[in-house]
Amino acid sequence: MRKIGFSTGAVAMGDFRHALEVLAKLHVNAVELSALRFGELDPLLNALDDLPLTQYSYIAFHVPAKFTAESEPDLVRKLHPIKERGWPLIMHPDAMFDRRAWKSLSSALCFENMDKRKPLGRTAEELARIFGEFEDSSLCFDLGHASQIDRTMAEACLIIQQQKTRIRQIHISEVNTKSEHVAISAASELAFAKIVGDIGYDMPIIIESVVKEHQLLQELTLVTEIFANTLQEVLETD
Amino acid sequence: MATILKTMTVSTSAIEELSGKLGKEWPAISAARAAAATEVDRIESILADHRLIPSDTSLVVFGSLARREWTFGSDVDWTLLIDGQADPNHLKVAQEIANRFLQARLRGPGPTATFGGLAFSHDLIHQIGGEEDTNRNTTRRILLILESLAVGSSDAYDRVIKSVLNRYLDDDLSFLSRSGQHYKVPRFLLNDIVRYWRTMCVDYATKHRERQGEKWALKNAKLRLSRKLIFAAGLLTCFNCHLRPPAGLDENLFDLPAHLEPLLRHLRTYVKLTPLEIVADAANSFAKPETSLKIFDAYDQFLSMMNDGEVRTRLESLTARECRSDPVFNKVRHISEQFQDGVTRLFLDDEPKLSELTRKYGVF
Repeated sequence: MRKIGFSTGAVAMGDFRHALEVLAKLHVNAVELSALRFGELDPLLNALDDLPLTQYSYIAFHVPAKFTAESEPDLVRKLHPIKERGWPLIMHPDAMFDRRAWKSLSSALCFENMDKRKPLGRTAEELARIFGEFEDSSLCFDLGHASQIDRTMAEACLIIQQQKTRIRQIHISEVNTKSEHVAISAASELAFAKIVGDIGYDMPIIIESVVKEHQLLQELTLVTEIFANTLQEVLETD
Repeated sequence: MATILKTMTVSTSAIEELSGKLGKEWPAISAARAAAATEVDRIESILADHRLIPSDTSLVVFGSLARREWTFGSDVDWTLLIDGQADPNHLKVAQEIANRFLQARLRGPGPTATFGGLAFSHDLIHQIGGEEDTNRNTTRRILLILESLAVGSSDAYDRVIKSVLNRYLDDDLSFLSRSGQHYKVPRFLLNDIVRYWRTMCVDYATKHRERQGEKWALKNAKLRLSRKLIFAAGLLTCFNCHLRPPAGLDENLFDLPAHLEPLLRHLRTYVKLTPLEIVADAANSFAKPETSLKIFDAYDQFLSMMNDGEVRTRLESLTARECRSDPVFNKVRHISEQFQDGVTRLFLDDEPKLSELTRKYGVF
């Protein structure tokens, strides 16, 4: 069964408990626990043992996207228990100050390809440089970001060609010119259709579209359909 | 009669206000507004069901739907307005929109290809005047200001409207009177609206020649009434910057606004109104009752005729030669003369300030 679910940050920004309540009703089997904003980190870490996570066969943890150089060593220390749980640490490559400090987490780090605002991690070439430094890290392939960087999806194809074996999970949503994650339109569906066939059908998928609660099921259904075509192709090939 | 109002107090129900004031109902106008609301809801559902509004785009409708004057045989003039990255899939989405509208039995745009496809914010904002400002670009830009409506997400639409208006204001040398006590009529915008009205009149003659008189009577009726209406609404939108200025100017006589934001916001308020609402708003403030009745009675009769399938079909089939003796066309012509008379009185007779502005800005 495909692992598919949502980021708690997309479902309810800053309120992971409510997000998990909503997701419980959707019966999804994958979740990304988001501490995208630094202030969300400690409350989420402190609550981890009490959270209702049994329904999920795949769990990822999103590391804060912004922090200070002073807080970096403490942040790395706090993330070690997450690594020990075996959860991937979704990481924005531009957030790090001292890359050496992150080496101890290297195998758990799952670097996300970035949107156009960021100075690195956007293209295949920029990602190659990051993985040159973090050889045992993996890739969280954000289809929305890749589409925003290059609407033809040629850059996305190149990223897959170069980093296919590193891809550990997928982020999916539409990303507008303000770099907001929004509902997937027909245009993005057409764009994503060009490359989903090249992504392993057992790859966990995390939806990041920020939609109203009553639209979550519709978005989940759409993403399932986009990737169902891939599964269908695999089955036909077998 | 009202003089200059201190602040702008436009109501979106200006038509209802006028109706109440005059004790007169206009059933065809009300029916057309209700029908338009239903059609907008239907289109919004089609777009949402098939996710046909990509980010950084808006589906914008023009014409009778945007004016909330939906009648029998109205077509949907639409464009997918893009204010963001160019995306090869936008064309496929636009084609899908056209297909879905066809399946829903919505009549598509006319043969000029001004509508029914993609439009880009860059041209609308940057190509005002000059060689690159084509007839199509001018039409899209001015209609965006005078009779447009975003169905579904309006983010891209709102940004483009704001930027286009900003271009008109920012490129005027000054938007305040010498005394600093009044906003001036935005002349750049006004001149473009006047130019568009004259362009419509000239194109009407050109289309008559090129299409060998096809639908002449219907086009003539529209030119005399609905096209003239949007021109009148455009003039009032500009004149209102002076006549009904944004709040705050008088209170800050010695602290003059250096930024055009209040005026920009003021214009955007009018852009959100329909042409009939703008005229009703002006009629509420500046027109004598008999003038208002002339305008709105005539327009109500026009919409009633447009909503009559037989009448509309008759007007579509009449040639220019046949019109003189045709009772249906003669009725439309009579209605249009009443409308013209009412509009003339509103702009030139009833209120001295409006008359002064019309003479100053509307002629030379």
